[in-house]
Amino acid sequence: METFEPKIVGFLCNWCSYEGADSAGKAQKACPANLRVVRVMCSGRIDPQFVIQTFMEGADGVLILGCHPGDCHYKEGNYNALKRYTVLKNMLKGFGIEEGRLRLDWVSATEADKFVQVVSDMVEHVKQLGPFNHHNH
Amino acid sequence: MGEKIGIYICECGPNIKDAMNLDELVTFAQGLENVAFAKTFKTLCSEEGKALIGKEIKGNHLTRLVIAACSPKEHEVTFRKVLKSEGLNPFFLQIVNIREQCAWVIKDRSQATEKAKFLIRAAVHRVIHHEPLEERQMECQPDVLVIGGGIAGISSALVLAQKNRTVYLVEKLPCVGGKVARYEEVFPNLECASCMLDPKMDEVLHHEHIEVLTLSEVQEVLGSYGNFIAKVKTKARHVDTRQCIGCGACFEACPVKVKNEYNEGLNERKAIYVPYAGALPYVAVIDEEHCLHFQGKDCVACQKGCPFGCIHFDEKDQDRELRVGAIVLSSGFDLFDPTRASELGYGQVENVYTSLEFERLLSSTGPTGGKILMKNGQPPKKIAIIHCVGSRDKRYNEHCSGVCCAYSLKFAHLAKAKLPEASIVQIYSDFCLPGKASQGFFYQLDQDKKSEFLHMRGADTIKIDQKDGRIHITYTDVNGKPAQIAADMVILSPAIEGARDAETLARVLHISQGKAGFFVEEHAKLAPVSTMNEGVFIAGCAQGPKDIQSAVAEGQAAAGRIISRLIPGERLTLEPMVSVVDETCCSGCKTCIGLCPYKAPIYDAEKKCAVINELLCKGCGVCVAACPSGAIKARHFTDQQILAEIKGLLI
Amino acid sequence: MGKPKIALYWCSSCGGCEESVVDLAEDILTVVEAVEIVFWPVAMDFKYEDIAAIPDGGIVASLINGAIRMEEQARIAKLLRQKSKYVIAHGSCAHLGGVVGLANFYKKNAVLDRAYKEVPTIHNAQGILPKEKTDDSGREIELSAFHDTVKALDQVIDVDYYIPGCPPPPNLIKNAIMSLLEGRLPPKGTVLAETKALCHTCPRRESKPDKIMIREFKRVWETEWDPSRCFLDQGIICLGPVTRGGCGERCIQANMPCKGCFGALESVIDQGAKSASFLASIINAEDPEEISQIAASIPDPAGLFYRFSLPSSILKGKIDKEAK
Repeated sequence: METFEPKIVGFLCNWCSYEGADSAGKAQKACPANLRVVRVMCSGRIDPQFVIQTFMEGADGVLILGCHPGDCHYKEGNYNALKRYTVLKNMLKGFGIEEGRLRLDWVSATEADKFVQVVSDMVEHVKQLGPFNHHNH
Repeated sequence: MGEKIGIYICECGPNIKDAMNLDELVTFAQGLENVAFAKTFKTLCSEEGKALIGKEIKGNHLTRLVIAACSPKEHEVTFRKVLKSEGLNPFFLQIVNIREQCAWVIKDRSQATEKAKFLIRAAVHRVIHHEPLEERQMECQPDVLVIGGGIAGISSALVLAQKNRTVYLVEKLPCVGGKVARYEEVFPNLECASCMLDPKMDEVLHHEHIEVLTLSEVQEVLGSYGNFIAKVKTKARHVDTRQCIGCGACFEACPVKVKNEYNEGLNERKAIYVPYAGALPYVAVIDEEHCLHFQGKDCVACQKGCPFGCIHFDEKDQDRELRVGAIVLSSGFDLFDPTRASELGYGQVENVYTSLEFERLLSSTGPTGGKILMKNGQPPKKIAIIHCVGSRDKRYNEHCSGVCCAYSLKFAHLAKAKLPEASIVQIYSDFCLPGKASQGFFYQLDQDKKSEFLHMRGADTIKIDQKDGRIHITYTDVNGKPAQIAADMVILSPAIEGARDAETLARVLHISQGKAGFFVEEHAKLAPVSTMNEGVFIAGCAQGPKDIQSAVAEGQAAAGRIISRLIPGERLTLEPMVSVVDETCCSGCKTCIGLCPYKAPIYDAEKKCAVINELLCKGCGVCVAACPSGAIKARHFTDQQILAEIKGLLI
Repeated sequence: MGKPKIALYWCSSCGGCEESVVDLAEDILTVVEAVEIVFWPVAMDFKYEDIAAIPDGGIVASLINGAIRMEEQARIAKLLRQKSKYVIAHGSCAHLGGVVGLANFYKKNAVLDRAYKEVPTIHNAQGILPKEKTDDSGREIELSAFHDTVKALDQVIDVDYYIPGCPPPPNLIKNAIMSLLEGRLPPKGTVLAETKALCHTCPRRESKPDKIMIREFKRVWETEWDPSRCFLDQGIICLGPVTRGGCGERCIQANMPCKGCFGALESVIDQGAKSASFLASIINAEDPEEISQIAASIPDPAGLFYRFSLPSSILKGKIDKEAK
């Protein structure tokens, strides 16, 4: 039986988390291949429509990474990401989407280890949950 | 659609080449829709690589480019330049990160190859939807408004007043110089404050490119960076500034006496007055609130007394609109009001003064002509200086104001010089003496035994009251034991706080205030003199407590930032990747207006929709995601582009 | 040649769209004068065979309301498509799936069990569920098959135009028919209402401040609210910003917040997700705990935000792990 390898799409903000992901590379740290990254300027750009569409296109998990609160390059963008993520999570419960398929976290430009940890944790968690069934209806 | 996408895959030496199967990648990429070709190259960022790309863009009539190489943060700008030089819009490029986020983190070759495939495919899907973006330019005003004529504002104005640039220095008081003009000597070298400041004030008042507006306040600011309209109201002075020579005949004639706020209420002035001897401009001003004539009484004593006919009761307040490109806010500070801590006895116990009051006592232009005298006219035998009043105290202000220890030492020094027989005692809780010279200043005082130092646990333990005709101070010492001393005069060193009227200015200039009322800078480390409202700069104590040197540095820094971007005759270049509202879709729901920290979207009441000021927009996209109509487009990060990228990653 | 033929049909619907046609009042005479209604089960006695007998494309327009849940509805919708030049999705259910679309949050079995076994007013000791074919003393009775999910009309047949609303205001229905008859048709696929959100024409728009920040979302029964102020400014969830306008703000004028029945604007692909986005953006908090608390004051976000549009949303309904 083939082990299920989840497809995780990550939305990374240009200033902190994308740099953090790059720094993991510069430090030659091993990172699961399951992550596929979409770069945005700010985590506040992420529209809940993107998240849902990402699931329906075939992702098993969606990861949103932004700057730590207080560090956002655009002052408050990451707070907007957090607020939207909170409301969206509640909404997705109604759709039977399990806790942990959508995750938001903060990664700064130098947190290579944290980046790898967050991605690995997410991959493990979603592996347990199984594939997201987008062959719905 | 008929796009011709050229895909270049960089080997990056062995970095990418050894980590994945590039042949497989090339075959895969070539098979994607709209792709004209895919090829590898050793190092694309080299001159050779860039030349090849340049040649092939023209030769193959490529309409889009995908470059799979290192992180876009390394070379996106480099490759955009290549496109631009070949006549292809620089935004028709998408970089794929197959090094930092692929080759360098995925150790399994086939996994790395697979991931690179998805990433390239995503880029191909996205780049089809890229739009040509242009760097646009805009006319701007090179003139500058400086609010606040203290040392920071003056320093800023002098740097700004370069050729072809007018500086408007708006000051609410009748004279310039702010707080520093009222100090006698300044630490650590104890130089004469007015000797230092007077030449600068003179320069500012007579500079051909600086217009000083005293008795003036900014009421409203419209527009944005490069094109502000500031509405300034100038109160009527009632004295002709061109004629008045400050002879003083009018004040002698005036029958009204009022507490002189420029001497901290320690003496009196008349209803027509000059703030203090040496105040610049040295021109009288009528205080309408106390002048009998303006109370409806029949008094024209000053007018009768004036030998030059300078006095004009019928002068009206003036409203003016100033068109400027940038604003420097250097509106200074106020001291913590010690009446808030009643245990300090300020205002109840005689001869308890704040530091500003003591400055006036020390000053030759002050109420006592520079003599240190108690209320009964006698010199004090013992002076106690209490540090940290209202500072480092959770009840009032957490911050340390950074200058009080130094000026307290100054007071000790100056008091001892004026009253050699007096004993000076300093009750301190910590010593804050940063910088090159302050520590030396302390040693000097200590060495000469000019002052006794008593170490208290904190200013919150201080209690001051009257006892046996002397001032009785009790406190807890640093070891926790109760202690007490008696003195004839007490000087409180209160915290420096934001000015009491800072709130009005924050509102008018659309900037925020932080703790203690200071204005908030754009970035604590990297942008200390600018604010979130582009074009509005802050300098001096308006931003936070600091010494004269730092205030001057900030004033000059703000000027430097303005000079480097607002250049007479040049236009401002706008960032292309900003957001724009589609007015045919916008319903005027105002969701975006409240979200933007840069105040870029504004509600146009006529059009009944939002309009984004491209000069202020930073392109973060927060409003785009929030817009309930999907009416805002984030250039280069549109919904269409991102959704296409997502699809390409997963199909 | 005769007058142009019009057909009206109802699928899974409440009858409100039919009512809306009747609410044309005197205007109905104008319509009736201009057209020949060849099919309207709620009001006229034409049969399916009558429709089948019409040549293909012979009906100028079919106004079909209601969502598709039953096989019969799908069959007739397809028949009307065949016979019509234009098909107009009439009302929220046909346009987006409608309120009936909320059934997509439940599996088919759960829906049937609830309706036929669990509701307090039913007495069905044997737990009988409707079947497609039943033998009744030698006669076979057929009942239309019950689909697994609710669908909007354009998920079953090709639709030319949409008249939104739950129900659509009568003037929109009249305008649609008259445009058709006068040949003034917009591009195919147009939703026949405004192109901007409700806020554009809302009588309370001027009272809306530039910055709204909510510390708690309130239900209409939880607060005494001001009939002249924007609902959102008072903490009451109003989906006006995320809903197409053109309804005349009937609900707002009756002092109730908008529920979103006209569906999303053209540039929005999922009304529910956009509702979540814009409401989240006005939450006044930065601390994660506080944000959670305020977000929790939105009751049933999935049901609230997708009240009319679930079948036509991106996810379409509850995710069924076992579905193939």
